[in-house]
Amino acid sequence: MNILVCLKQILDPELPVRDFRIDSAGRDADRRGAGLVMNIFCANALETALQFREKHGGKITAIAFGSASAEEMLRKALALRVDTAVLVKHEFAHRPNPLAVARVLAASARKLGDFDLVLTGRESGDWGDGQTGGLLAEELGRPCLSFVDGIKADPSQPTDVQIRRQTDEGSDAIEASVPLVLTITNNEHNVPRIAKTRDVMQAFKQPLTQWSLSDLGLDESSLADELSSTEIIELTIPTKQTKCEFITGDSLDERIEGLAKRIVAVVQS
Amino acid sequence: MNGEIPTREVMWNVTHVWVMYVLLVPTLLIAGYGLYRRLAAWRRGRPENRFDQPWERLQLVFRHGVVQQATWRHRFAGFFHAMIFWGMIILTIATTVVFIHHDFGLPIMQGQFYLWFQSLVVDIFGAFTILGLSLAAGRRWLFPSKQLVHSWEGSMILVLLLVISVTGFLLEGWRIAATNDPWGAWSPFGYLVAMMSKSWMSVTSMQWAHVITWWFHMGLVFVGLAWAPYTKLVHPITAVLNLYTAPLKPIGASLKPIDFESDAPLGVNSLGGFTWKDLLDLDACTECGRCTAVCPANTVGKILSPRDVILDLQELSHTTKDFSAPVIDATQNLSPEALWACTTCGACVEACPVSIAQMPKIVDMRRHLAMEEAVVPDGMETAIGSLEARGHPYSGTKFSRLDWTKDLNVPQLADVGECDVLLWVGCGGALVERNQSVTRAMAQLLEKAGVRYAILGREERCTGDPARRMGNEFIFQNMARENIATLERYQVKTLVTACPHCFNTIRNEYPELGGNYEVLHHSQLLDQLVKEGKLSPKARSESKITFHDPCYLGRQNKVFDEPRQLVQLSSRRPSVEMQQSREKSFCCGGGGGMSFVDEPANQRVNHERSRQILSTGADVVAVGCPFCMTMLEDGIKTVQSADPPQQPIQVKDVAELLWDAVRDES
Amino acid sequence: MGSVVSCLFGWNPIDRAALGVLGAGQRLAKQCSVEHVVVIVGGASETSVADASKFADVVHVAEHPLLASYHSETTLTALTQIGRSLKPQAVLLGNEIYCQELVPRLAHRLGGTPGGDALSLNAEEGSVVITRTVYGGKALAAIALRRSPAVVWVRSRAQELPQPMSQNAEVKRWPLDLEPCSKVKLIDRHVEVQEASRLEDARVIVSGGRGLGGPEPFTHLQALASAIGGQMAASRAACDAGWVPPGWQVGQTGKKVSPQLYLAVAISGASQHIMGIADAKTIVAINTDPDAPIFQHCQFGLVGDYRQVVGPLRDKLVELLA
Repeated sequence: MNILVCLKQILDPELPVRDFRIDSAGRDADRRGAGLVMNIFCANALETALQFREKHGGKITAIAFGSASAEEMLRKALALRVDTAVLVKHEFAHRPNPLAVARVLAASARKLGDFDLVLTGRESGDWGDGQTGGLLAEELGRPCLSFVDGIKADPSQPTDVQIRRQTDEGSDAIEASVPLVLTITNNEHNVPRIAKTRDVMQAFKQPLTQWSLSDLGLDESSLADELSSTEIIELTIPTKQTKCEFITGDSLDERIEGLAKRIVAVVQS
Repeated sequence: MNGEIPTREVMWNVTHVWVMYVLLVPTLLIAGYGLYRRLAAWRRGRPENRFDQPWERLQLVFRHGVVQQATWRHRFAGFFHAMIFWGMIILTIATTVVFIHHDFGLPIMQGQFYLWFQSLVVDIFGAFTILGLSLAAGRRWLFPSKQLVHSWEGSMILVLLLVISVTGFLLEGWRIAATNDPWGAWSPFGYLVAMMSKSWMSVTSMQWAHVITWWFHMGLVFVGLAWAPYTKLVHPITAVLNLYTAPLKPIGASLKPIDFESDAPLGVNSLGGFTWKDLLDLDACTECGRCTAVCPANTVGKILSPRDVILDLQELSHTTKDFSAPVIDATQNLSPEALWACTTCGACVEACPVSIAQMPKIVDMRRHLAMEEAVVPDGMETAIGSLEARGHPYSGTKFSRLDWTKDLNVPQLADVGECDVLLWVGCGGALVERNQSVTRAMAQLLEKAGVRYAILGREERCTGDPARRMGNEFIFQNMARENIATLERYQVKTLVTACPHCFNTIRNEYPELGGNYEVLHHSQLLDQLVKEGKLSPKARSESKITFHDPCYLGRQNKVFDEPRQLVQLSSRRPSVEMQQSREKSFCCGGGGGMSFVDEPANQRVNHERSRQILSTGADVVAVGCPFCMTMLEDGIKTVQSADPPQQPIQVKDVAELLWDAVRDES
Repeated sequence: MGSVVSCLFGWNPIDRAALGVLGAGQRLAKQCSVEHVVVIVGGASETSVADASKFADVVHVAEHPLLASYHSETTLTALTQIGRSLKPQAVLLGNEIYCQELVPRLAHRLGGTPGGDALSLNAEEGSVVITRTVYGGKALAAIALRRSPAVVWVRSRAQELPQPMSQNAEVKRWPLDLEPCSKVKLIDRHVEVQEASRLEDARVIVSGGRGLGGPEPFTHLQALASAIGGQMAASRAACDAGWVPPGWQVGQTGKKVSPQLYLAVAISGASQHIMGIADAKTIVAINTDPDAPIFQHCQFGLVGDYRQVVGPLRDKLVELLA
């Protein structure tokens, strides 16, 4: 099976709160001085693809739509031995929204060939929209399943896959025909593996396809519709209350009641 | 034979002596082959230079091979081993004398020399030999312990040597009695045998007993000679070789760098992956078991046994034809579980009387697991991932590198441009809450002492020590090179750090990557500042303090006294020394990446050390390392939680203690 | 005349979550001066329809055998048909996984703009503006969804409840033209027992520490956890001491959890433990020591002895949640 895995590079989610800053335009986080990492769910998607290829064969292409810094992330994918790595570079002033990203990824996917499975992470650790996978499915005209945490080939039907996806109550077991778009979530079986050192060293010598938007027949103006569909009006850092509110009350019973009410409010939110 | 020159007839009562010479041939051939086989195995290892500084090397051989300083650390074993060792030496000299006298015809075995040395001294040392062997046998058979390898072979060796020794005296005694040797009394023990035998044996029966026992004794000796190279009895040769080629650098500098440009496998997973010196190490092992006895992981019940890592590898080196076959998991002692239990404290290396380097081999094998197979324990994987992503191993910390400087005026090198001393804060000192107060105390002490210091702040990255100990040499080198580039940029010459791991790595491991600096542990600098009068401590506390030697400062770098000075200066009561201190200090359990790993509740090294601390009755345990700090605080709290005392033991860094004694009272 | 559509699934009851969606839809509709239309997809009970109609101008019940339970393609097709026909300004859904899945695809098919995890929605200058937390809770964003319709899943329980309308809504049956989907087939729908889920995924966690002194108090804590649908966890000290299974350990070398609520009982709050709960949304503690470090990381807490607090607290919680 031909698998396309879409990877996103994001601000390190473990950046200490104190170091998190909004940029001067007030529209996005300030990336200066912060580490950039592969989004964890994208890493789960990559791991899922690697395990699928190990069991059932096929080819994996890793793709990222991002700035030049995303090359480092794609080298990590190459260190994990994906067959092809593609970086579609942009130098947008503001981050592109999921609609624009989906359009670019779809154009890239069509240019790269036919993919049986297109995998994305279920959401990213920065903006957490969780939309890119679904939008990409629509751009490509494919069915889409989200929160997938297991994919197996169907031994009786080479064009089918057996999917397990998480639900609010448990999980769904689904049989689907390729081509498909799947968004991947984490479970104990798709913990991202670490790369072997030789592969890491080799990764820097591997070919990495680099495209600009014009290679896809696109540019900022052709994406204007998508890009303008959302607008970040404001991005603020909420003043964190580090002061603990000690529940007060004349009697212990009263305080316990107060505590219980606060707990219920959180549980039910 | 009064009036004649004192001597004795060699080969008295023995005929067909030529048989002995004939039998010597296969004996030596078999023995020679045994030695050759070992040598052939060593030669299959990778190259390594262990022949520099010959004078220092000879000193090691003298100190531990002759004087046997290391063996003597265990008094009882040291005693009986000395008995056996010196006994064997003297007996060998005596046999050589006989050989020269009899086979070369040089009449040296006569006169005063014959009386004083060949008779008296040799007899006494023969008795020492029997005494030593008996004590060894008694220990082995009456007090079996986990430390020794209780094998058929181990017992057989003792039995063989004892029988040889005892029959030696029997032969001497019967000769003395049967020949009415006028100088018989010069061999007191032989003389004793002679007296006892005379009372119930006729001369004829003594002659018969003598000749039979003579051949028996010779047979046993030849069996021993032929067999020795195939057993731990080869150690007189291999131990001397091993001592000569021993590491000359402190234990902290034990690990070898890897050249990533070459195609060689990363780390070791085969006998051929080890160097010839590593393979020689294997054959030098005397199975004394001291390494396992002092291993903190083994003490708390983990399966790691340094002795068995060595012995299992030794066995493999003798039985495996294919030196490229995997060794990891070849036995349970070489399993990943065992290898990952190591805290890299180096107690095994320190304890070994024949200078075997157990811990570096464990790290060599970890390198294979970490870099070739990319499989490491979960907690370590997270720490390594964090090192890569954000330059420190503390995934989940809410702190950034400058948070500890709040309200303090701490100069940053980026602002001030230069300094006399760079305070290397380390990841623990910056990002682990408990350790931040140590860093603050250190900064305040430096300021009070008027030291022109600065910190790197955000430009500081982890030294790479955790990655190196966890086997990921690649990430270690990347981090080290980054730091060295930063240090070079600022032309830093001197660093001080409160973390022994940073201390060890920058001091001992950065030079081979191009970074050469003067590195001080904070206790060394603080001690110096006190001696120079720049800090004037006034002990206010009445605490009874005991100092816990950090492995990477004490045992691995031989810094013991300066922290103790600081401890003593900070309390009005005399400090108390733990039984296991200095080189014998018991690890806190945090090294080797272990502080990042979840361990079974009943196998915690820090709990064991905490119990040892509690038994001193101290109020405070002083530490000099961020890992020790958190491991011991954790351990003490847990161990004391079962029966919480009124005043729980506090854990304090020497810098905190000194600051308390130096700061203005307010 | 436009509308704001609140979309509910017929197989769910009109619970607090559903009411939250209705409340958000109603408010937004009022702001936009348009009708509040409720669409119930799938077989809805009479009670549900009746409940929903209190808060809407119109209720459309879209029933079809193929909509009896959720199907990624079929349910989407149905909503697309309805959406294209109604041409609303906004379509709102709840925060169930199925809704999160539908939103971007539905938005695309309707030519609109998707949005998610909305804490609040407002009409501003002709667009729907949502606020949501981003960057793992570190920041709050106000995002304008400019292309109509805005298709948004809301954090339902954070929304205010709807107000009953002056009169109940008209209930219409929506005829749907649906084909079974051959490409995606549901083989099995598995409902899991709560306790079996992973601590890392738990929404509510009750955790005990060294101060509990032994295994017994953990059973009381377990009762408390059950009352609020929470899972049990512990600090390393308790796991070390063997009072609880090692899998309960949360902290630097234990599990990292990110629940909505983390209740720490008799846990001092050492930084290693805090590292494991860094992503918890609300941390609450019960501890006898007001200076315990845990309180520096809490939103609220109680200074008290767990022996006197845990039992009565559980009873109170059961009472309030009933």
